[in-house]
Amino acid sequence: MKSTRLEPLARGAWAMARIGAAGTLSARAVLLGRALYYLLVMTTLGKFWNAVAAEHAADALPLPSGIVLYVGIAEWITLSVPAIHLRLEDDIRSGAIEAHLLRPMPYLVGKICETLGGMAVRLGVLGLGGAGALLLSDLPAPAAAWPPVVALALLGGCVHVMLVAIAGLSTFWVRRSLAAYLIMQKLIFLLGGLFAPVTLYPAWLARIAAFSPFAASLYWPAVIALEHDAATVLTAFAAVLTWLALLALLCGAIWRAGMRRLLTQGI
Amino acid sequence: MSAVITVRNLGKQYRYAKSGRRLRDLLTPQHATIDALSGVSFDIAGGERVALIGPNGAGKSTALKILTGILQPSGGDARVLGLVPWRDRMQLTRRIGVVFGQRSQLWTELPVRESFALLRRIYDQDAAVFAARLDRLIGRFDLAPLLAQPVNRLSLGQRMRCEIVASLLHGPAVLFLDEPTIGLDITAKAAIRELINAQAQSEGLTVVLTSHDTRDIELVCERVIVVNAGRIVVDQPTDELRRRFLSRKLITIRSAAPAIVLDLPGVTRRPGEPHLSLLDVDTRIARVAQVVAAALAQGGIEDITIEDPPMEEVIHEIYAA
Repeated sequence: MKSTRLEPLARGAWAMARIGAAGTLSARAVLLGRALYYLLVMTTLGKFWNAVAAEHAADALPLPSGIVLYVGIAEWITLSVPAIHLRLEDDIRSGAIEAHLLRPMPYLVGKICETLGGMAVRLGVLGLGGAGALLLSDLPAPAAAWPPVVALALLGGCVHVMLVAIAGLSTFWVRRSLAAYLIMQKLIFLLGGLFAPVTLYPAWLARIAAFSPFAASLYWPAVIALEHDAATVLTAFAAVLTWLALLALLCGAIWRAGMRRLLTQGI
Repeated sequence: MSAVITVRNLGKQYRYAKSGRRLRDLLTPQHATIDALSGVSFDIAGGERVALIGPNGAGKSTALKILTGILQPSGGDARVLGLVPWRDRMQLTRRIGVVFGQRSQLWTELPVRESFALLRRIYDQDAAVFAARLDRLIGRFDLAPLLAQPVNRLSLGQRMRCEIVASLLHGPAVLFLDEPTIGLDITAKAAIRELINAQAQSEGLTVVLTSHDTRDIELVCERVIVVNAGRIVVDQPTDELRRRFLSRKLITIRSAAPAIVLDLPGVTRRPGEPHLSLLDVDTRIARVAQVVAAALAQGGIEDITIEDPPMEEVIHEIYAA
């Protein structure tokens, strides 16, 4: 069968994802440290939310039951996303990007696939750690929620990667991505609902947050652990997929603008 | 042989903001432009091995970047294998190989073998064709003992051999080498030059090389394009270049006496060891035969070598001119 133009690209992208996965797996100590950190964070946050509930703060703040599970999933995704902004920044600032541009694989596609490969490994390892901790705890673990949660966590992780990649691409103009990354990170934490569901925010802010790209990264995958009726699951998939597509287009547009700059002005 | 690279009136200007200390300079910076390349034209035929040289900031890297498609010129035209590099970069990448001496194209944490396998997938190479080519290159570049090692464990010389092989795995027609021997020791440099030569000759590869090491130019390239201040100042075969720019010969005489005494116009003595006289002969004033005859007349001559001065001096004279 005659291969289409996309087939070689898909094979190359798959190979890059495998490289990302292999690289993450080979750094076993780092992976184990991250998993331990995840369990430590979850233990601390679990105790915090239990203390809040015990102090009857729920009267003032209507806490959903299973909020620890929500936070656990949001943290799971956050800790699984590799720092793609640093890789982009390194390549662009050092000029190493030039060597990558001389391959028949679009640089950004390759870098994102490599990052997603690493993210998949982290999601797997941290997910196993989290699942083990969940089994040992007395938290509710609704079986019906897990398939959509896992699928949405993968997609939400992709959204997260795109958001961080946008921060990394700012290097084309500002030479350092830290400022853009910090802004993006804080927006993801706050509007994405890292520490609590965005529905706990004031109504106007909750509406804005829920349908922002940041919530597509964390809130929608995590909230399914609390509400997994068909309507909520469908809304979650629609929000995450829509933002994933829009952010992919935005990343592409920023990349093209950056490349125009690089091609005319050099490194 | 027809040209695989054609460059016509190529120009590149860089624009930069002039820094100032006033707030107004920050808000509305003044811009200045510099000409990195100006009116550069040349052809390179298939199978030719050409050195693109010049002092720092001369424009050679700019030219190389334009020819590989990672920089767009401000004016003029360039074709590599019939493609406009900056417009058809993706297509061109499948037909050229590029090695940057100071940058790695391999994945540093991966074993060499895996980097090569990844490149096969990126270049979408047929497995059998790729395996045969890789086998040949492994043999020629003696990479078998290195394949299982992570790239970041290799010495610079070993890594450079791997980099060159990586750039040849997809069977390019043109190989661009940017400072391929930078930082290598003498043995590694010699090996790299020999391998590039052997590969170029056996595969009919066109080679465009930039280097500050004149031995790279002498031993690899048959033609030299000298760029200075963005313009081509010399474009000649390597041998002719040497002859054109040097009206000098270097005569080395080994003698039984600690030194030979020659008082001829146009002959100057360079510092040397006892029993070894190094004579610089200006052939416009003194003939080589005349100098040799005068030396032989003194007796006790054990050996005489007549050479062109090193390429480094040729380049130095060109830059000085």
